[in-house]
Amino acid sequence: MSALESLTARLRDALPPDALITDPVRLRTYECDGLTVHRATPGVVVLPDSAEQVAAVVGLCAEHGVPFVARGSGTGLSGGALPRTDGVLIVTSRMRRILEVDVPGRRAVVEPGVTNLAITEAVRDQGLYYAPDPSSQQICSIGGNVAENSGGAHCLKYGFTVNHVLAVEIVTPDGEIVELSEQDAGYDLLGAFIGSEGTLGIATKITVRLSRAPEAVTTLLAAFTGIEAGGRAVSAVIAAGVVPAAIEMMDALAIEAAEAAVRCEYPEGAGAVLVVELDGPKAAVDREFAEVERLCRESGAFEIRIAASAEERAAIWKGRKSAFAAVGRISPAYIVQDGVVPRTALPGVLAGIDRLQEEYGIRVANVFHAGDGNLHPLVLFDDAVPGEEERAEAVSGLILDLCIEHGGSITGEHGVGVDKSRYMPRMFSADDLDAMQLVRCAFDPRGLSNPGKVFPTPRLCGEVPGVRRGVHPLVEAGLAEQF
Amino acid sequence: MGTRAVEDAGRDERAGKALAATGVTVRPAVPGDAVGRVRPRWVVLPETAGEIAAVMRVSAEHDLAVVPAGGGTKLHWGAPPSRCDILLDTCCLNAVIEHVAGDLVVRAQAGLTLEALREALAAAGQELALDVPVPGTTVGGLVATALAGPRRFRYGTARDLLIGITVVLPDGTVARSGGKVVKNVAGYDVGKLFTGSYGTLGVVVDATFRLHPLPADRAWVTAGFEPPGPLGDADRAAGLGAALAAVSGSQAEPSAVELDWPDPDGPCVMAVLLEGTAADTRAAAVRGLLGPDSDLRPTPPPWWGRLPEPPAAQKGEAPESRGREDEVLLELRITPPRVPGVLAEVRRAAGDLGVRAAVRGAAASGVLHIALHAGTDAGTVPGTDAGTDAGTDAGTDRGTDGGTDAGAAARFVARLRAEAEDGGGRLLVVAAPEEVARRAGRWGRVGALTLMRRIKERFDPDGRMSPGRSVGGT
Amino acid sequence: MDPELIKDCVHCGFCLTTCPTYVLWGEEMDSPRGRIHLMGQHVGGTPMTGEMAGHFDACLGCMACVTACPSGVRYDRLIEETRAVVEREHERTPDERAVRAMVFALFPYRRRLRAMRLPMAMSKRLQPFLERVNPSLGAMAELAPPAARPVRLPPLVRARRRARARVGLLTGCVQGEFFPQVNAATARVLALEGCDVVIPPRQGCCGALSVHSGRPEEARRFARRTIAAFERAGVDAVVVNAAGCGSSMKEYADLLAADPAWRERAERLRTLDLAEFLVRLGPVAERHPLPVSVAYHDACHLAHAQGIRAEPRELLRGVPGLELREIAESAICCGSAGTYNLFRPEPARELGDRKAERVLATGADLLVSANPGCTMQIAAAVRRAGKGEIRVAHTAEVLDASLRGLDPGALGRAPRTGRAKARAV
Ligand SMILES: Cc1cc2nc3c(=O)[nH]c(=O)nc-3n(C[C@H](O)[C@H](O)[C@H](O)COP(=O)(O)OP(=O)(O)OC[C@H]3O[C@@H](n4cnc5c(N)ncnc54)[C@H](O)[C@@H]3O)c2cc1C
Ligand SMILES: Cc1cc2nc3c(=O)[nH]c(=O)nc-3n(C[C@H](O)[C@H](O)[C@H](O)COP(=O)(O)OP(=O)(O)OC[C@H]3O[C@@H](n4cnc5c(N)ncnc54)[C@H](O)[C@@H]3O)c2cc1C
Ligand code: SF4
Ligand code: SF4
Repeated sequence: MSALESLTARLRDALPPDALITDPVRLRTYECDGLTVHRATPGVVVLPDSAEQVAAVVGLCAEHGVPFVARGSGTGLSGGALPRTDGVLIVTSRMRRILEVDVPGRRAVVEPGVTNLAITEAVRDQGLYYAPDPSSQQICSIGGNVAENSGGAHCLKYGFTVNHVLAVEIVTPDGEIVELSEQDAGYDLLGAFIGSEGTLGIATKITVRLSRAPEAVTTLLAAFTGIEAGGRAVSAVIAAGVVPAAIEMMDALAIEAAEAAVRCEYPEGAGAVLVVELDGPKAAVDREFAEVERLCRESGAFEIRIAASAEERAAIWKGRKSAFAAVGRISPAYIVQDGVVPRTALPGVLAGIDRLQEEYGIRVANVFHAGDGNLHPLVLFDDAVPGEEERAEAVSGLILDLCIEHGGSITGEHGVGVDKSRYMPRMFSADDLDAMQLVRCAFDPRGLSNPGKVFPTPRLCGEVPGVRRGVHPLVEAGLAEQF
Repeated sequence: MGTRAVEDAGRDERAGKALAATGVTVRPAVPGDAVGRVRPRWVVLPETAGEIAAVMRVSAEHDLAVVPAGGGTKLHWGAPPSRCDILLDTCCLNAVIEHVAGDLVVRAQAGLTLEALREALAAAGQELALDVPVPGTTVGGLVATALAGPRRFRYGTARDLLIGITVVLPDGTVARSGGKVVKNVAGYDVGKLFTGSYGTLGVVVDATFRLHPLPADRAWVTAGFEPPGPLGDADRAAGLGAALAAVSGSQAEPSAVELDWPDPDGPCVMAVLLEGTAADTRAAAVRGLLGPDSDLRPTPPPWWGRLPEPPAAQKGEAPESRGREDEVLLELRITPPRVPGVLAEVRRAAGDLGVRAAVRGAAASGVLHIALHAGTDAGTVPGTDAGTDAGTDAGTDRGTDGGTDAGAAARFVARLRAEAEDGGGRLLVVAAPEEVARRAGRWGRVGALTLMRRIKERFDPDGRMSPGRSVGGT
Repeated sequence: MDPELIKDCVHCGFCLTTCPTYVLWGEEMDSPRGRIHLMGQHVGGTPMTGEMAGHFDACLGCMACVTACPSGVRYDRLIEETRAVVEREHERTPDERAVRAMVFALFPYRRRLRAMRLPMAMSKRLQPFLERVNPSLGAMAELAPPAARPVRLPPLVRARRRARARVGLLTGCVQGEFFPQVNAATARVLALEGCDVVIPPRQGCCGALSVHSGRPEEARRFARRTIAAFERAGVDAVVVNAAGCGSSMKEYADLLAADPAWRERAERLRTLDLAEFLVRLGPVAERHPLPVSVAYHDACHLAHAQGIRAEPRELLRGVPGLELREIAESAICCGSAGTYNLFRPEPARELGDRKAERVLATGADLLVSANPGCTMQIAAAVRRAGKGEIRVAHTAEVLDASLRGLDPGALGRAPRTGRAKARAV
C-alpha cells in the first residue's frame, strides 16, 4: 500500500463521508486553479468543516509523510493551489462562516473559505467594509488572500491584506493549531505567514480589521490620446502630494476588449484612460479632486468624465474590472502577467514592452495599477497558430526580466506559485533564497506544506547552506528528492 | 590563575586577533558600553555589509555573542542578553542609499538616525510616517524594536511601511528580501520577522520604506476627561469611551488619537491629530464631537509622541527622568473599545498595590504605555496597606534595586495582564529591573512561542545573536 | 457539448458564489466551473458516469452563472446540450424514471393538469405518506397551490384607451391552471395601458419544461405549435408573464436552428416579458396609491436568463405609496427551477428554506415575483417554517390593483375564500 493509500484509509475514519473525494472524475475538477496551464489531478480531496478537521488531516499527512496543498476558491493566477498527484488537496470552501463581527472594535473573525466580498456585505449596514479589494473579491477566499497577500485597486491608499489582518489561526505542518497575532511580542510571524502561499501551514481562522466607509468618494475617468500622456498625469498627481484611493490605467487594446465585453462606452479614440478615485472626508476630497482634474487636463486629457452617482461610478469601473476576463473577447487565448516597477520607470518599461510586441509579433494589452507601478500586461495569442503560444510565453517572460532590470518585482499580487518559481533566482541571490528557506524550515522542516511552490529548488532543511555535506538523511531514506 | 581562566584568556586573545584581522574598526569596550549590565569585550564599528559579515564570521568561528546597537537609546529594553562579547555599533552605516521622490520610496542604512532621515526627506516634501522618536534613534533600532508613535492609527507601524531589508545573518550571510517597490509578493517577507526581533536574528544593514507626502496642514484638538474608574463609576468610563469611539470612527479621518493620563487620580487628556487637505475643517468637525470645552491648536501638546515619564514617588513632584536603569515601562495592547475599562483597572490596581503609574498612548489603536514608579517606601505611598494582597508581603518583596518595590510592581503587572489577556489583549514588560521582570514575566501570552523558538534556532543555531533578549529566551 | 463553448471558460470562478448548488455544498463539481470542467472531460473521452450525470442533474438551470460570467460563457447552451447527452447516455434508476415520466406526461398539458387539480389538493393530506414513498411525490403534494376558480379569458381584450399596440398573451400551462387571476390581471393592465390583447384559445405549452429537461424533440414540437398560434393572431409582440416561458420563447430560434424555415418564423416572433414590454411602452394609465411594502424576488428565468432585473423594480417603484425592499442574496435561486423541486426535492427544499428566511427578514407585507414556480416554492418553505401563509402576488397583480385603485389588503390573498389573515410576512 502506498503512503497515500494508507493515509486515505485513515482519512475515511477521521472525516464524514461527504468530506472525502476519491472518485477520479470528481478529483479532476480540482486539477487547476485560475491558471489553467498547470494541471495535476490530486491524490485525494478533502472538504473539512472545521479547524479540528484540518488539523486531523494535516496531522495524518505528517504521520504518513504525504504532501498537502491548501485551496480556497481556486482563483489564484500563479498555480499556487496546483494539487499534488501524490498528495492531499485541502479545500476550505465549506469553512465559510462569519464567526464574529465586533462593530465597536472594528474587527471580524471569519473562517478561511469566506469570500472577501462576503465580509464587506456582512458589515456594510454598519457603515464598515473590509478594505483590500482584489478584482476577484466576489469569489476569492480570505484564506487565499492571506496566502497571497492580495491587494486591489484601492491598496495604493489602504495597503494590502497584511495591513488589514490582525490575527490568523493556523494549522502548522505538524498538525498543531496555533494563533499568530499582531498583539504577540516577538517576531512578526503573522507578517511572515501572510503571503507565504500555503507553504507554512493552513489558515483556519482569520481576524480582519474593518474600516469605516469613507464619507465621500469621487471617481473620474480621463481619456488621453496615448499612454505617455496618461503616465504624465499620474506623476503629476503623485508629485502634488495627493494620495488617491486608486489610479488605474488601461491602454487602447485593453479598452477595445472591455468595450467588446461590457460596452463600457469609454471616450471614442482614447489611446489610454485613467480611472482616478479619491475618497475620505468630503472637504478634503472636493479640494483634491479639483486639483486632480486640473492636473489631468494639463497633462493632455481630451475628455474627463466625473461620476455623479454610485451607478455612474460603477459604470466607470465596469470596464476596468472586467478587463482581464474581457480580453477573451478579442483573442482566443492570453496570458495574464503580473509585474511591478518603480513608478518612475513606467515609461521605460512600457516602451520596452512595445519593442517586444514588434519583435515577436505578439499583441500585449496593458492594464495596470498606475499608482504603485503594478503592471498587468495581457499577452494575447491564438493557440491555433503554430508557434504563437511559445512566442507569447517568451514575451511574457521577457516582460518580467524588464521589471527586474528596472528594480521591480516579478509579482505584485498574484504570487509566485508554481508558475514563477523559476524567476526567483533572477530576483534574489542564492543567499537571499537560503534565508527565506530558514523560515520554511522552522515552520515545515519536512517540506510537506505545498511543496514545489515559490522556491525553485529548495535545499533540504537539514542541510547547511553553503557547502553541501553529503547525502541528506531524508534523501537516503527515500523521503525526499535532492535536486 | 586557574587553567580555566588561562584558557579563556587564550581564547580571547585569538578572537581579538581574528577581529582585528577583519580590518573593521575595533575598540575595547568600556563600562559605558554595557547592555543591560552585561559588559561586552569589544565594540566594533563596521562601515559596510561586508564588514558586518566579516565580524559575524569571526563570531561564528570563535563563538562570540554579538549585540547590535543603533543609537543605544533603548539597549536596556528587552531582556538583557545572557552574554555579550561584541557590541556591533552601526553608527558608521549612516547614509541614505537611495531616495527616489517620484516613487515615494527611500532606502537607508541601519545606523542613520531618523532625524537625519527626516531632514533628507523633507527637502523633497516627503516623510516616513512613523513618528519622531527619541533623539538618536536609528533605522535599525526602529525596525528591531518595532515601536511606533501616535500616527500608527493611520499609517501602521514599521512593519507596515517597511518594503525591503538587507540583513547579515549570524553565519555572515548577507541576505535581502522585499525590494524597492511598494507592491511586491515575491518570496517570504523576512523583513517582517526582523521587526520586533531585538537584534536576535541578525544585523539589519539597511531598510527600504514606503514614504508619504508631507501633509500640507496639521491641527490638533485636545479635550480633558474625568479619570476613568474607580469601581462603580461607569459613567466616567462611558464618557471617555463614547468620545473615543466617536472620534476614531469619525469621517474627519484623524491620523492619531492619543491619551495622556499622568496621574490616575487626575484627569486625562485626549489629543486628536488631523493632517492633510482641509485639516482645519476636519478639526472643527472633531471639536463638534468633543464638545465646546475642547481646544483647537496648531501645535501638538508637549507630551505628544513621547513615552510616559515615570511618575515621582510623591504626588505633586516632578516626574522622574527617562532612561533610568530601574525604569518600569509596560505596553498594553487591547482592542480600543476596552480602553476605558482597562484604564479603570489600572487605577484600581495602582490604588490597591500602592503603585504610581502614568499612562500615555495611541488609544484609538489600543496601544498604551504605562510607566511605573513602583513606590519606594511603603509609608509615603497612599494605599499600600489598603489592599490585603499588597500589604502582606510589601516588606519582604522589597527589591534590591534602588529601593524599588519589585513585588508590588510584579503584582501590578500580573493583575493588569490578567485583565488584558482576558479580552484577547496583551501586557508586555518593555523595560524593567531584572527582579520585576523575573517575577512577572516579560512577554505574557505568546500564541506561537514554539514557532518563534524554531525561527531563532534556524537563524541562529549557536545562539550568538543577542542571546536571551527576546520572547521565550530567543 | 460544443468544445468551443467549453473553451470560452477561463476558469476564473466568478460564477461560483451565485450558484445555488455551490452555495449549498461548496464543492467544485457542483459549481458552474466544475460542471463545465466535467463537460470538458466528457468531450475529452471520459464516459458519462453516474457521478458525472448526478452533478449535471443537480444543476437547477437557474443561469445565475450566465449573469455572473465576465467572459460570456454560454452555460445555458452548454447545459441544454449536456442534458440531452445525459438523457441519451445515462441509464436512470427505475424510481427516477417513474417520476420523470409522470411529470412529463402531466405538466405540459393543460387538460391533464386541470384534471389533476382535485387529486393534488387531496394529496396534500397524504403528503407525509407520499414523502415516505418518494420524496418527489411529497414535494409535488407540498407545493400544490390551492385549486383556483377557473377564469375564462376572452380571445380578445380591447384597449381601454387609444390603442398603442396589439399584443398576444401567452397564458402558460401552470400559470393558466393554478394562477388564472394573474393572466386576467395581465390582460387588464395591458388593456388599461392601451393595448389590444389577443389571447389565442388553442395555445399549448411553450416547451420550456422539455427544453430544461433534455427533451429537445418534444420541445420543438411545442415551439412550432406556439409560433403558429401567435402568427395567426397577427400581433406586434407576444407578451409573457411567466419568466420560464418567456426565456424559452426567446430562444426558439436557437431551438429550431436546424430548420431554416422555422428558424426564420421564430426570429420574426417578437417575445417580450411583461415588465420589459411595459417599461418600453411607457406608463400612461393613472397609478393609484398602494400603501404596501413589497419584497421583490428575482425569478431566475427573468433575472438571469433574460437579464430583466431593473424593469420590474421600476414598475413597482412607479406605484405611489409602495415601498420596495430588497431580499438578501437576491441572485440565488429559490430552488424551484421548473421541475427541479420535483426531481431533486432535498436541495430544492434547502434552497427554499434559505430563500424563505431572507424573504421573511425583509418584513415586507407582500412577496412579489414574476414566476409561479418561485411563488409556490417560497410559500411552501414559509409554511414549513411554521410561519403560516405568506401573501404572494405577481407583478401584474400589483399593477392591476394600482391601476384599478383596489385595496392593497386584497393583494396576495386567495380570492376564493377571501379569508382575512394576519400579516403573514
Ligand atoms: C479575474 C481575476 C482577477 C484577480 N484579481 C486580483 C487582484 O486584483 N488582486 C489580487 O491580489 N489577486 C487577484 N487575483 C488572484 C486571486 O484571486 C487571489 O490570489 C486570491 O487571493 C486567491 O484566492 P483563492 O481563494 O482563490 O485561493 P486559491 O487560488 O485557492 O489558492 C491560492 C493560494 O493560497 C493558498 N491557500 C488557499 N487557502 C489557504 C489557507 N486557508 N491557508 C493557507 N493557504 C491557503 C493555496 O495553497 C494557494 O497557494 C485575481 C484572479 C482572477 C481570476
Ligand atoms: C521617550 C521615548 C519615546 C519614544 N517614542 C517613540 C515614538 O514616538 N515612536 C517610535 O517609533 N518609537 C519611539 N520610541 C522608541 C525608540 O524610538 C526605539 O526604541 C528606537 O527605535 C530604538 O532605536 P536605537 O537606534 O536607539 O536602538 P538601540 O537602543 O541601539 O537598540 C534597540 C534594539 O534594537 C537592536 N538593534 C539596533 N540596531 C540594530 C540593527 N542594525 N540590526 C539589528 N538589531 C538592531 C538592538 O540590539 C536592541 O535590541 C521612544 C523611545 C523613548 C525612550
Ligand atoms: S445554472 Fe444555476 S445551478 Fe446550474 S450551474 Fe449555473 S448557477 Fe449553478
Ligand atoms: S465565470 Fe465564466 S469563465 Fe469564469 S469560471 Fe465561471 S463560467 Fe468559467
